[in-house]
Amino acid sequence: MIKIENLVKRYGVTVALDHFNLEVKEGEIYGLLGPNGSGKTTAINCMLALLKFDRGSIKVMGEEMAPDNYKIKSQIGIVMQDVAVFEELNVWDNIDYFCSLYVKDRKKRRRLVEDAIRFVGLEEYRKAYPKKLSGGLLRRLNIACGIAHRPKFIILDEPTVAVDPQSRNKILEGICELNRQGSTIVYTSHYMEEVEQICTRIAIMDHGRSIAEGTKEELKSMIKTGETVTIEAVILGGNDLAELKELPHVFDIQYEDQKLVVRCTKARHNLIRILKFLQDREIPFGRVFSELPTLNDVFLEITGKQLRD
Amino acid sequence: MLDMIRYSFLTKIKKRDLVFWPLIFPFVLGTAMYFSIGQMEEADFETVRAALVREAEQGNVEGEDSGKEIFPIFLESLEEDSDLILTEEMTGQEAEEALENGEIDGIYYDGTDPSLTVSASGFPQSILQMVLESYMEGKETLEDVAALHPEGFAAAVRSMEDHGDVVEQVSLGGKTTDGTAQLFYALLGMACLYGCFIGYSSAMEIQANLSPLAARRCAGPVHRLSLVVTEILVSFGIHFVNMLLLLAYMKFVLKLEFAGSYVEMLPVVLMGSMIGVTMGMFITSVGKMGEGVKIGIMVGASMALSFCAGLMNPDIKNAVDRSIPLLNRVNPAALISDALYCLNVYDAPERYAQDMMILAGLCVLLTAGTFLIIRRERYVSI
Repeated sequence: MIKIENLVKRYGVTVALDHFNLEVKEGEIYGLLGPNGSGKTTAINCMLALLKFDRGSIKVMGEEMAPDNYKIKSQIGIVMQDVAVFEELNVWDNIDYFCSLYVKDRKKRRRLVEDAIRFVGLEEYRKAYPKKLSGGLLRRLNIACGIAHRPKFIILDEPTVAVDPQSRNKILEGICELNRQGSTIVYTSHYMEEVEQICTRIAIMDHGRSIAEGTKEELKSMIKTGETVTIEAVILGGNDLAELKELPHVFDIQYEDQKLVVRCTKARHNLIRILKFLQDREIPFGRVFSELPTLNDVFLEITGKQLRD
Repeated sequence: MLDMIRYSFLTKIKKRDLVFWPLIFPFVLGTAMYFSIGQMEEADFETVRAALVREAEQGNVEGEDSGKEIFPIFLESLEEDSDLILTEEMTGQEAEEALENGEIDGIYYDGTDPSLTVSASGFPQSILQMVLESYMEGKETLEDVAALHPEGFAAAVRSMEDHGDVVEQVSLGGKTTDGTAQLFYALLGMACLYGCFIGYSSAMEIQANLSPLAARRCAGPVHRLSLVVTEILVSFGIHFVNMLLLLAYMKFVLKLEFAGSYVEMLPVVLMGSMIGVTMGMFITSVGKMGEGVKIGIMVGASMALSFCAGLMNPDIKNAVDRSIPLLNRVNPAALISDALYCLNVYDAPERYAQDMMILAGLCVLLTAGTFLIIRRERYVSI
């Protein structure tokens, strides 16, 4: 569906995209995950032929993407990071306007607009103006404007920023539904939970580069961490920490403010082994958590920093 | 394309800024100018009050005016024929008190040679002085008429008043000039330039590097040229209608009677509207300054150009014409004002044609410049 090779984009001396590569296959929900400023939106704008780039190539549906490639553009739906609707038009007119850029037949368009309104759950707000909509409803309108013409390929650039949990779930469910209906989706976000929840494949971006790519399972298997055990309200001495680190499969320990975080490689009974260690030494402890690795762990291990830094 | 035009029109007429600056503001300014100038004119021609103090017996007019002096008769006759002055007979002390209290503007002392006393200088005092001078200039004639043909005395006074007509301003084309008209022509020039606000809005919505909305529109499968042409046409159409409404308001509500035909003024307004809109698009499209800076530049440019065109004071335009003649030959507000003045006052078709040609040149330059900038399809940064 889309193939980007060695894309380089500079803003003066700043390199926004550094030999960025991407391949999205038809039918996927492809996630671009990275912190703010990692180059996600720049990559999207290049894909849409809005931004000039210095090197590389972008092919969409097998054709070189260019500003005047209207055939390809007519197959794409775009949901911008910022809400991009007319303040002066009501919900229905906004969706109809953007749909009219793609669909000339008014009768067909009317049906598509109604479908889009139902799809995002704005039936009660047809005549409402954007100013009267809450942040979540506004985001839904933003999505409806981008998908009403039933595009084959949809790009969603952080569509859930500043959205309440209810609207966020509605949006994420909608994206999965669009995918089930046959659309290929590129979804950018810095929320790893969202990307994990809906994306079939994920590229992790940092400093304009794709630093890891694959399914979430593939990404997690790339790193050493198999399980992270967190124990609160525990008081340990220096010897305890040293002995703890000697336990099988434990490779990293952090201890701060009576909170112990133990990273273990993938193995059975890591948690039981750690708790037994504490019991044997009669060390009291509070709450205990055991987590499987997250995409943040992947990002942390590869870049040495948190995804949300 | 029709849907794009329809929605572009709808969005623009619903934007408060686009209704206020190019439409409401010129209406308000025009109305304020109309009333303030109207009051000035009323003040200018308010009847001047004066006292008449008799000092000594003068030569009497025989017949029906027997027993009265010539100067008081002259004043009486003047009062009957016009409301320029109103005199009241008083004693010297009463007159001085009235002058001190501001009840009158001057005191005429009737004697062999009538004299005038005033306590200030100004328009009313000038009128009193002018009346006295008129009398003094024709004094001998009036005395002769009073002595030989007292029945023709009133007619003689009227003939002296008629000298006033000589100083009425008459244009080269024989049309009466009106100093206030120039202010309204400059107002029309300013209103044309205020189309820049509509141009600004259009440019903001079709340049992907200026707003997310524009980026979304540019990402669609609509030919760039269609998008640009639609915006220019709609913006220009709306502003031309704004200008027609302003002209209609001036004609039917303010009852301003420009000497030239309103139809003849349309090409000037048409060209002016186009220049206003493209100027806004041009300023908005150039560079990556903030929105506030761009609006500031537009307002500043429009006001400065209108100022030089004589919007605040017609003398400014004359001063600029004298000291920097080239400036107002490329200043669209001055050209619009001048073209309207040519139509309504000068009756100078050559100068009108010259103004229109320069306006057309500016229009082509701005449109071409704007198009060259906004036709870009890929941007360095968004």
